[in-house]
Amino acid sequence: MRTALILAAGLFAAPAAAGVPEALDRHILPGFDRFVQETGALARTAEEDCTAGTVAPAYHAAFDSWMPLAEVKIGPSDTGALSVLFWPDDRGFTPKALNGLIADADPVVTQPEDYAEVSIAARGLMALDMLLFDPAYDSADPYTCQLVTAVAVDLARQAETLQAAWADEFAAALRSAGAAENATFLSPQEAMRALYTQVLSGLEFTADQRLGRPLGTFERPRPRRAEAWRSERSLRNVLLAADAAQSLAHALAETDLPLTDAAMVGVREAAAKVTDPGFQDIDDPQARLQVEVLAQEVRSLRTAIANEVGAPLGIAPGFNSSDGD
Amino acid sequence: MTTRRGFLAGLLAAGSAPAIGWADAGSPSYLAAAREADGAFALFGLDTGGNLTFRVPMPARGHAGAGHPARPLAVAFARRPGAFALVIDCADGLVRQRLTPPAGQSFNGHGSFSADGMRLYTVEQRDEDSAGVIGLWDMERELTRIGEVPSQGIGPHDLRLLPDGGLVVANGGIATGADGREKTNLGEMQPNLTYLDAEGRLQDQVILDPDLAQCSIRHLAVAPDGQVGFAMQWEGAPGTPVPLLGLHLRGEAPVLADPPLAEALAMRGYAGSIALSGDGRSYSISSPRGGRVQRFGRNGAFLGSVARADVCGLAAHPGGCLATDGLGGLLLLEGDRVRPLGSAPVAWDNHIVAL
Repeated sequence: MRTALILAAGLFAAPAAAGVPEALDRHILPGFDRFVQETGALARTAEEDCTAGTVAPAYHAAFDSWMPLAEVKIGPSDTGALSVLFWPDDRGFTPKALNGLIADADPVVTQPEDYAEVSIAARGLMALDMLLFDPAYDSADPYTCQLVTAVAVDLARQAETLQAAWADEFAAALRSAGAAENATFLSPQEAMRALYTQVLSGLEFTADQRLGRPLGTFERPRPRRAEAWRSERSLRNVLLAADAAQSLAHALAETDLPLTDAAMVGVREAAAKVTDPGFQDIDDPQARLQVEVLAQEVRSLRTAIANEVGAPLGIAPGFNSSDGD
Repeated sequence: MTTRRGFLAGLLAAGSAPAIGWADAGSPSYLAAAREADGAFALFGLDTGGNLTFRVPMPARGHAGAGHPARPLAVAFARRPGAFALVIDCADGLVRQRLTPPAGQSFNGHGSFSADGMRLYTVEQRDEDSAGVIGLWDMERELTRIGEVPSQGIGPHDLRLLPDGGLVVANGGIATGADGREKTNLGEMQPNLTYLDAEGRLQDQVILDPDLAQCSIRHLAVAPDGQVGFAMQWEGAPGTPVPLLGLHLRGEAPVLADPPLAEALAMRGYAGSIALSGDGRSYSISSPRGGRVQRFGRNGAFLGSVARADVCGLAAHPGGCLATDGLGGLLLLEGDRVRPLGSAPVAWDNHIVAL
């Protein structure tokens, strides 16, 4: 059997799979433009007045602008997303890193470009969640004030870097998937698959982590493990993440998505019944039940997207990533 | 390894009847198992250019394999818990022999021939309690089981030959239940790295700090100087940044690689394969879950990474490191540069075996 079988040439130039340009042009790239605007506004606000009350609205607007992008963890975002939103953090890396900077009055806060070198746990939205909303920190303190400003300015710089990397390079790699010179995506299907799997894994993350972590077990709920509970954004982030998944699913699909849209209605209805936006009351059985129902609705949304978007494309879970050995 | 194979092939050819060598199998440099588009499983030979040199059907999903150092024979191990291993003649694609583990034991996916090709070592575990066993097989005319020795741990997975002829075994520490895959002892794991001599006698053992007890030591790569790179899989709380690569030279303390935090988290606590680069200067580890391959120096320093969905198989290549993925991609990683060598309509399985 000496016939040298040649690997089937998958390296042909081809137009991007339908859905990929739509996902970029309707959702991802405009999302980064908005993220740059909102984080820029946040940085300017903090530079003028770093006290928590003043910065908080700009912080929320910046967080809102990140959520549509938060689960697209590929390309420049595959590690870049972590320094924007460092969570989960069961081991408390963020308070440790912030406390270290404050205890040393570390001069790294005076040069925004230097701040990019500190631990990713002390950067981004979760650092602000703690500095602005945890009573342990006082934004009227001069060093803490400088720290808030440094985190905000660094976040705006991260936004610009990510936006540029997506717009200049990674979007092109997705669009030219399958072209001879494209070493990132060997076929148009790979680009489609890459975006689609972000939608599914993002919803899994929302159900298992954003909702599953604070739920813990019935005997031992863990409300302090909720995402951004200090700024009472836990529920809002779940809704925005689900919105993002629905929006991306529509961009990727060539058909209407009635099951997906119906599932999203279910998510909204369940969210409306959750009593505490930071999930801090889930040791109450009734409050807990509403959050559990919400987690179920998020999983139903995931199933609907898998059926309506993934199944027609023939995309199955990864052969190796879904295995373990 | 190629040199040794060439040398031995020469010896055999000079000393006895005209030997059939690897050239008769198209001179593959690698073996890799895959699932084909129609759902069937097969073992492929690959050359360094990424061309398929042979294809042999497999009755079930494979995992890794072992190439004979001189003759064109490959032992393809079933995915664990393995009920069989096939001895395949890569020159004609025929199954020469079917190996089965003793009753009450299963193959665990990996194994290796001795340097002279006269013995095969198979990694096994007892079904009852997951106690590790190394099966010893003699290669006279065909493989005959001649004995077994303890692997000195629970749930062994990979085994490699050392330059001195001894063995290094990754005892993953995970006990499995009746189905052979369900993990039953995650709270009390005790993985270790075990050194055995060629007869299977215990020489040395490395156990990491107790806070890494849930880091299952699973896959191995051995440098020419005997340094062992071991790749790990974290069974503790998700989202914990833990080292996934360790380096060890006997007589010294193990070194644990410590990549930047974002890189550590991006691997999702899972390294599926490990390989030394072609120039012997770096180790790469892959994470299909994180879609990532990271590269470290021989001292454990982080050098870089590349992203690739469902990437898992890794092997040394003259140009750097060969990688395969579940989408059919066959890639040459030259440092942080990715050069696609080809794309096949198959899902490449966990490992590439360098011949």
